[in-house]
Amino acid sequence: MDSDYDQESDDVSDDEYLGAKPTAASKATEAGGSRAQKASKPHAWARRGSTPPDNEDEYIPEETQGLEEEAVPEKSIQHMEEDRKRKRLRKDTKPFQRGIIRHVVLVLDLSEAMLEKDMRPNRYAAMIKYSQEYVREFFEQNPISQMSVLGMHDGLCIRVSELSGNPAEHITAIQDLRTPRNPDDIPKEPKGSPSLQNALELARATLYHTPSHGTREVIVVFGSLLSLDPGDVHQTIKACVRDRVRVSIIGMSARLKICTEIVSRTNSGDESEYVVATDQELLRELLLATTTPPVVRATNASRTAPESAAALMMMGFPSRVIEDLPSMCACHGALTTGGYTCSRCSAKVCSLPVTCPSCQLTLLLSTHLARSYHHLFPLRNWAEVSWHRAREVNSKECISCLSPFPEPPPLQDDGPLFPTTDSQAGPNGHGVSDIRTSKNTAQPEDEDAEQKASESSRYECRVCESHFCIDCDMFCHMVLHNCPGCLSKVNPVEVQNGDVDMAGAS
Amino acid sequence: MSASSSQALEYLEQLPLQTHKKLYEQPSTVLAIFRCMLPHLAKSIVMALLYIPQPLSSFDLDAWFRPSASRLKKDSLYILEKLHIVEAKPRDTSRFTDYSLAPGFSKSLRQALEGSGRHGSFGVPAPPTEKRKVTIQELDDYAQGQWESLLFYMVGSTVGFHGSVGGDIGEGTKKLLQGGGFVAKNHGKIGITRTGFMFVLQDTNAQVWSLLIEYLKYVDNLGLGMSETDVLSFLFMLGSLELGQDYSTSTLSPTQTQMLDDLTAFGIVYMSHKGAKTFYPTRLAVTLTSDSGALSTTNPNEVVAPGTGATKKGFIIVETNYRLYAYTNSLLQIAVLSLFTKLTTRFPNLVSGKLTRASIARAVQTGISASQIISYLDAHAHPQMQKAVPFIPPTVTDQIRLWELEGERVETTNGYMLKEFQSEKDYREIVKYAEDLGVLVWRGDAEKKLFVDRIEQLQDVLKRQAARRR
Amino acid sequence: MNAIDGTDRHTKVDEGPPPSLLTIVLDTNPHAWAHLSSSLPLSTALANILIFVNAHLASGNANCVAVIAAHSQKACFLYPAPTHVSKRRENGTANGDVEMGGTSDRPPHSIPDNPNKYRPFSTVETAIVNSFTKLMEETHEVDLASTPTTMIGGALSLALSFIAKTTLLHAPVTSRADDMMALADSETTQAQRVPLTSRILIVSVSGDLANQYIPVMNSIFAAQRKRIPIDILKLAGDTVLLQQASDATGGIYMKPENPGGLLQYLMMAFLPDATARTHLVMPSAGGVDFRAACFCHRKVVDIGYVCSVCLSIFCTSQIQGNLCQTCGSYLSLRSAQMNPPALIPKKKKKKRRVGQGTDSATPGGSTPVGSGTPMHS
Repeated sequence: MDSDYDQESDDVSDDEYLGAKPTAASKATEAGGSRAQKASKPHAWARRGSTPPDNEDEYIPEETQGLEEEAVPEKSIQHMEEDRKRKRLRKDTKPFQRGIIRHVVLVLDLSEAMLEKDMRPNRYAAMIKYSQEYVREFFEQNPISQMSVLGMHDGLCIRVSELSGNPAEHITAIQDLRTPRNPDDIPKEPKGSPSLQNALELARATLYHTPSHGTREVIVVFGSLLSLDPGDVHQTIKACVRDRVRVSIIGMSARLKICTEIVSRTNSGDESEYVVATDQELLRELLLATTTPPVVRATNASRTAPESAAALMMMGFPSRVIEDLPSMCACHGALTTGGYTCSRCSAKVCSLPVTCPSCQLTLLLSTHLARSYHHLFPLRNWAEVSWHRAREVNSKECISCLSPFPEPPPLQDDGPLFPTTDSQAGPNGHGVSDIRTSKNTAQPEDEDAEQKASESSRYECRVCESHFCIDCDMFCHMVLHNCPGCLSKVNPVEVQNGDVDMAGAS
Repeated sequence: MSASSSQALEYLEQLPLQTHKKLYEQPSTVLAIFRCMLPHLAKSIVMALLYIPQPLSSFDLDAWFRPSASRLKKDSLYILEKLHIVEAKPRDTSRFTDYSLAPGFSKSLRQALEGSGRHGSFGVPAPPTEKRKVTIQELDDYAQGQWESLLFYMVGSTVGFHGSVGGDIGEGTKKLLQGGGFVAKNHGKIGITRTGFMFVLQDTNAQVWSLLIEYLKYVDNLGLGMSETDVLSFLFMLGSLELGQDYSTSTLSPTQTQMLDDLTAFGIVYMSHKGAKTFYPTRLAVTLTSDSGALSTTNPNEVVAPGTGATKKGFIIVETNYRLYAYTNSLLQIAVLSLFTKLTTRFPNLVSGKLTRASIARAVQTGISASQIISYLDAHAHPQMQKAVPFIPPTVTDQIRLWELEGERVETTNGYMLKEFQSEKDYREIVKYAEDLGVLVWRGDAEKKLFVDRIEQLQDVLKRQAARRR
Repeated sequence: MNAIDGTDRHTKVDEGPPPSLLTIVLDTNPHAWAHLSSSLPLSTALANILIFVNAHLASGNANCVAVIAAHSQKACFLYPAPTHVSKRRENGTANGDVEMGGTSDRPPHSIPDNPNKYRPFSTVETAIVNSFTKLMEETHEVDLASTPTTMIGGALSLALSFIAKTTLLHAPVTSRADDMMALADSETTQAQRVPLTSRILIVSVSGDLANQYIPVMNSIFAAQRKRIPIDILKLAGDTVLLQQASDATGGIYMKPENPGGLLQYLMMAFLPDATARTHLVMPSAGGVDFRAACFCHRKVVDIGYVCSVCLSIFCTSQIQGNLCQTCGSYLSLRSAQMNPPALIPKKKKKKRRVGQGTDSATPGGSTPVGSGTPMHS
């Protein structure tokens, strides 16, 4: 929080220093004032309708509990830290069927509520900035998906960009809202009220023609506290449910009943897709959290005809061409000296993935498909290691980064050292990162339970029984999606990533 | 290349070819020069040339560098040639030049990398004995004590502190400090000079180098018959030794044995007694040829954990209201702070004060520059401060600069004025070239005048122009 | 003169290049090296790599190195060596700066006191040679018989997690929020302060990596996200996968004609670190083959059919029982065939062209009727 403040203060001081020497006192109050304001801001955001404890609040009870048992405050702090980190892990690592081919409509609130300055410089600017980042990340994670961007203002819903798979188009379209490339256009300033009904109707119309094997998702960034609808929004909700449209809402002010209802109805009762961002960092995280493909629900599949859920799609894998003389590309009509030629109609496009502008074939590289594999074959969560187990395996250091583990304590101390950790787990404790969990995943195994810190600071892969440190645990599950232990031995390799023999390139 | 070793580089650059040749006979010296003195790109050039059988032509070199980096390439080659590491020979018929490494340098560097040869230049460890070895802790304490008392000798008297932190320093050291112009005697009282201030505010590593370079000059002037190369290669060898290991004095030359006494006085090496058979390098010595902070000034007792090189231990907190809190009880640090801060309160582990217009102005008057103050604050910022970027609040840095500017409206640069060009073309050529080299300070197109801060490289062009006219 | 602008506030940023961590993944597959033994025996290659490591350590005072062996049946660290071999973790903060207390408890025989060698060099060399010998001693004939391939995927994963951890340790003291962001892999914070630049060099001698496609791909994407270039020195064999790795991460790809000149290749092309590379023209992979191979017959395809559930690629739409061979989902062709009627006339024209275009790639494989329909998605 502090660092946030300090960086922002750059801008302020730039204007001030040239004037008369600012008196130290006035500076002090100014600084102190805004710092206090920042600190006292309530963390009212919530997931699943409950308020998870703020990090700082979380600390205190745990620490004192730890102190009762034994006076090792540093240890319990470290323990807390690991606990906090592990909460960010995905709860279910069973290979679910996920909607890899997504059709997403991103609805941006352009109403006057976005002029609020609780985010810097205001909500509108923050949203524009993060949604561009979001688009980039979305296509990074979901290269064969499609997106469209809509905007809400003056009770209307406007189309910012058409449904397409080219991130650059969306990013420039979003950018144009604020700083148009064409100097004649006036930058759009947030005004009027938003209309959820209009937005949902337009989104539904946009998604109407999309094939059934893909998902239909609407992600609304909603800063306002009201919705100015021309008709009955409940009818629209019903229509959305009928059309398999799933709506996620990221609010900015307070939780709204109507939003809760929209989300819960369209997600078969699951309210966790409605979240409220209280500051910009959280807004960014919440947006980025939706880049993970959603789990395909059994309820959805059963509702629609089973054979339409999955399909065989035709795709082109073009090769790169390099030309000496520039030629026109089919996608933008611009002169370029290289690109990819469509495998079917030989039209030249400049970037991939793209839908061939002339024959509508999806063109991509094998690496784009590979990007989604980790969603399909996720790395299973690692287990916490008790002191007993640590002694049994006698692991001295993390297998992948070689940082040493703490020594196991003498035997008699075993057991009641950290009895409090279990009480920590609860439905309230979900961090921002645990992503979409569905109702039908309740498994008896503790693998799917809340991920907690391990008392011995070791985490064990269930397959290869290697022990890892917390940092490698986080890195492997959030970035790498491989288990270094399993891959370093011959036998368990197949078990690790599903016994699929996938050979992409010869 | 770090700021601290740049002064050593300057010193090396002005040595003649013969000295260089002699120096490059020792693999440890070559390795140290390579590691610490060369700019980053020059290292790449040297390594590329090291194992190549035939010389590299300038054509290939140009192809290797991106066009945007041509200035950096020129700089690197200039330094390499100046140090006589790279030899440039014009190729017979073409306009290309062939670059190759000086044979002595390349042989020694290969030896250093491969660990071959029988030169023993990386220090001969003393045979293990029954005697208890000096621990690293003791070495650190010793080095810290010696060095701090040296600094305190300079600062303490100026700010009016009395007493000493680690004991008195030797007469020779005092002479050296005076000779180097770090302190001056006024009315029988020792006072610090402008150079002295610069010295004190540098980080320890740079301090050691400045002192050693002074030492080199001093030794030279004294004419004790100590050979310059011997002194230099011993210093470079010290940099490649291992802390906590004792080394035998038996293989050292007489000059080097003589040096040991002086270096012991500085705290750079440790000997249990005068004329001992072994010596220990201290942390000041082993970090001579590396960038890491030699003695972390606040917590000498704390082990500098490997891998935390980036997070230097700091102790100063500066608030945007110009208040300054320093978590220190070191008399030296308090003395240094009091050079530019109005200190008000002192607690057992904390002093607090304020940066005021008066205190900064006083510091500026005594010769400390605002950027020195800022970089000192920056270098010793408390970890809490290091969370923000930049560490020191911009209001404070700007204000310190403004306060400094109140006193100085004119900035001076030493250099050369070039004027009275024969033609516009000549003038433009020179300006272009000077700009490429980064030596151009000012240009006046109307009067065809320019001002440069270094002229050596321009002279070639000037000569060529003169020749063309003839 | 009086102008003070904010530009020079960051006074302390660039004193020198940031320290660089070089992670070498050495393919030690005995089969492959046996093939190479005439031109470049493994021992010579190792000696050359050791010089290269020393050169890297000399190039920057805080540079560090890690060496990982991708052997035929396992991947393991050679340096820093795991505990049971030696206690040292990595090459410390600075070359001359040795961990405190290191001398007293180190067994005297572990590192020979060689006055002709710079201590940090000999430390690293001894550790690498020791663990390498150990690795070779532990390799039994049985292991070799079972697998002809190398554990590149595992070695890459080890390298990446090691780099991630080291980067974390090198990072300046950060607030908890920053810490979280670093883990959440935010691009912005990374760009702000990069205290350690890392790269991976794979010295590869063996070919086929198809059985590790997914792990290697995952590693490539992780490296891409963390901005870690993967350099490839391909002494023998050929893998498109590694070519893709260097292409995607902005690394160097080299396949020298003459493996004997290994050292010169290493010194000239692979030694410059990220800082130097911004000024140099580095060799790259050039044309990379990104075409996909189908999962059913391993044929390289131009146009493939992709299962919407598991993204397996098939070369024909006529798959057995319409069940995906990988994930077993029932796949409908119906949805692929459903089209706006307006497109039907076009369809025929295009199909003919497809037939011509793919003849070379799928010999004799005539495109099944009714599947060439453009998919409207």
